[in-house]
Amino acid sequence: MKTRNLLLIAIFSTFLFVSVSRAAQPPVSVDLQPDAENPISPIMGDHLRFWSTLKNTGSSPMEGLVVWISLVEIDPGNEQPVDLEDWSAQKAVTGASLKPGESLRTDWPMRLIKGSDYRVVVSATDRGGRQVYTSPTVQFHVRQKPVLQAGRVLPVAAGMPLLLIGLMVFKKTGQGRGNRNNVTT
Amino acid sequence: MMNTTWTIARKESAQMLRSQRGLLWLLTFSGLLSAFSLLLVSNTELSLLDNAQVVYMMAGTVLAAGALLVAILGSDAYAGEKERGTLVPLLCAPIAANALLAGKAVGLLAAWGVMFAVATPYLWAVGASGQNLGAALFYLALFGTPVVLGFGYLAMALSARTGSVMTSLLSTVTLLMLAASPLVIGPGLRGTAVGRILDVINPFAGALNTFDSVIIDSDPFSAQTGRLVLVGVWLVLCLFAARRSASRPDF
Amino acid sequence: MIDIENLRLSIEGKEILKSIDLHLRPGDTYGLLGPNGAGKSTTIFALLGLRAYESGSIRVLGGNPMEEAVAIRRSVGVMPEKAGFYDWMTALDYLKWYARLYGSEPVNRDLDMMLEKVGLGTEARRPIGAYSRGMKQRLAVARALITHPKLLILDEPTNGLDPKGRREIHNLLVEFAAEGKAGVLLCTHLLDDVDRLCNRIGIIDNGRTRLEGSLGDLLAEQGGGQRYRLRLETDPDTTNLPAGVAIAGHEGGWWRVQAQVKPSEGPPALWGELWRRGWKIMEIRSEASSLEELYMSHTGQDKHYTQEAA
Repeated sequence: MKTRNLLLIAIFSTFLFVSVSRAAQPPVSVDLQPDAENPISPIMGDHLRFWSTLKNTGSSPMEGLVVWISLVEIDPGNEQPVDLEDWSAQKAVTGASLKPGESLRTDWPMRLIKGSDYRVVVSATDRGGRQVYTSPTVQFHVRQKPVLQAGRVLPVAAGMPLLLIGLMVFKKTGQGRGNRNNVTT
Repeated sequence: MMNTTWTIARKESAQMLRSQRGLLWLLTFSGLLSAFSLLLVSNTELSLLDNAQVVYMMAGTVLAAGALLVAILGSDAYAGEKERGTLVPLLCAPIAANALLAGKAVGLLAAWGVMFAVATPYLWAVGASGQNLGAALFYLALFGTPVVLGFGYLAMALSARTGSVMTSLLSTVTLLMLAASPLVIGPGLRGTAVGRILDVINPFAGALNTFDSVIIDSDPFSAQTGRLVLVGVWLVLCLFAARRSASRPDF
Repeated sequence: MIDIENLRLSIEGKEILKSIDLHLRPGDTYGLLGPNGAGKSTTIFALLGLRAYESGSIRVLGGNPMEEAVAIRRSVGVMPEKAGFYDWMTALDYLKWYARLYGSEPVNRDLDMMLEKVGLGTEARRPIGAYSRGMKQRLAVARALITHPKLLILDEPTNGLDPKGRREIHNLLVEFAAEGKAGVLLCTHLLDDVDRLCNRIGIIDNGRTRLEGSLGDLLAEQGGGQRYRLRLETDPDTTNLPAGVAIAGHEGGWWRVQAQVKPSEGPPALWGELWRRGWKIMEIRSEASSLEELYMSHTGQDKHYTQEAA
């Protein structure tokens, strides 16, 4: 009798555990990976690509999906979200539907505008759900490139006005010489 | 007609480049761009966006200075000659009215060309390591030329009609300032219905928006065609006004 | 070369020319006289197609200036009243540039010769901005002549010149007219210039032609010729007078004579002739000329009176 009761409790507990576990598992899995061809040590101006995979792991279809990419600067002292306006034309995918077990693979191209440390993440939500599901973050460093080189600017900034002044002086002295050669009688 | 046009054009161009006043103008313009460049040279932490912004602002400055210069030269084209007594001898010569206008327009174009040539080293110096420098130069030429020439034709139209340098200059510069005013009203006001309508009909704003689009946003040529039509229409309207006034100038 | 009939022209609603007649033949030096504001300059501008007219007709070198202005101007040299130049150019460069507008490419030697003729030979390579007013006036004459025009139109050509300068310009114009085929239209209010240079005159006032015709004939009808008063050492032989001289009176020791002289000769030849005939002239004074009387009698009125005399 005691053995039979223990067996029943064990079966019931296992069944309950599995049910509860099933209920706690999110219906979506989001994965984010950098493209294999991304430069190892990117610099300002380089292009990076990331791939996200969104899978419907639930039992019901997902409608009206919105998937978007976010970028955060994590340089100490400069922590801030980044407006992707000039980094990427592809900022979100909207309106997709996923049946149970289906996956949505999306690429996210990005141009590196500024040097710093960054983390990128992809987020997703659907029309019916109340949660936002996020991928693991991918961290990367962008090397700064000097875009304004003093060695280029200084010669031009000083040289052009000097050239024009020289032209003016040359004109003036040329006129003066001409006037001296034409003496009024 | 081409000979007389060319003869007039050479005189107008030489007047700009060989006179002390013309060289002084170029020197002032060059000084402005030098100051602009030197302000930035100490900042090595500029992003590509910031750098693109600098190139965009410099292109806008060149456009504004070019339009101002041709407004001044255009206002002087007929009325200045009248005030100095050189217009009547010119009108007494066997030059068709359109040939005279064309010659003066080529002179304005030459002045714009010189300003563009002076500005190019500056744009190269600040923009070579950034993005879209080639596009900046190309679109500054493609859009800047009709906008600037349009203001030149407008100034000449007023100059011929009024016979007064002051009147035509004030009118043209006022219109230029109105055209450039979107730069000072904020993006909020520009986004209103009235602001958007003004943007659509304003050739100066059209050129600036194109610079923004290609230099900062890296948009393709196809996105600029509407604005190209706008500046083309502007040029044609100003040319029409100038031809009408120049056919019977006030002398 | 110029035929204007009953020309009417308004500017901004104001009638400037009401009835202008002008006929200039090849070889004529035509003096267009009139007070300030009479319409002389406006008539010139109408001739060149720079002002549209309302009625009447204009033919210049056989063409209508409203339709063939550029072609007509190619054969016309003009010296406008305001002699404007580009101060930064030298005279040589300016004339070369201006000639190009006429489709001509004169060489420096020809330009130097022209500048020498107008008295600017040594100033040819100076910027025009350094010129005096008189020098600019001379340069304006050179500008009008450099293109070898068939018709020369001058508006107040001797303004701002000293007597020597005026005489030099007169000589140039006489030389130009003496070639015989070209025509000269001289607009001026200076009767001395007309007297010396012109064989035909037109007098306009308040937009109307008051008088037009051959100068000699008009003066003859007036009882014309130039009037002088002469003080003589001894009484002259009044029966032995040269042709063209008539005695008008003898008052208070002065002999008043009326003399008709050719514009190209002037009175000095006449005095020489009188001297040879025993007129020992000690003093000469000019009286109001007949041309002046002709001018005064036809201006300052509002009647339309046109007389054509051959």
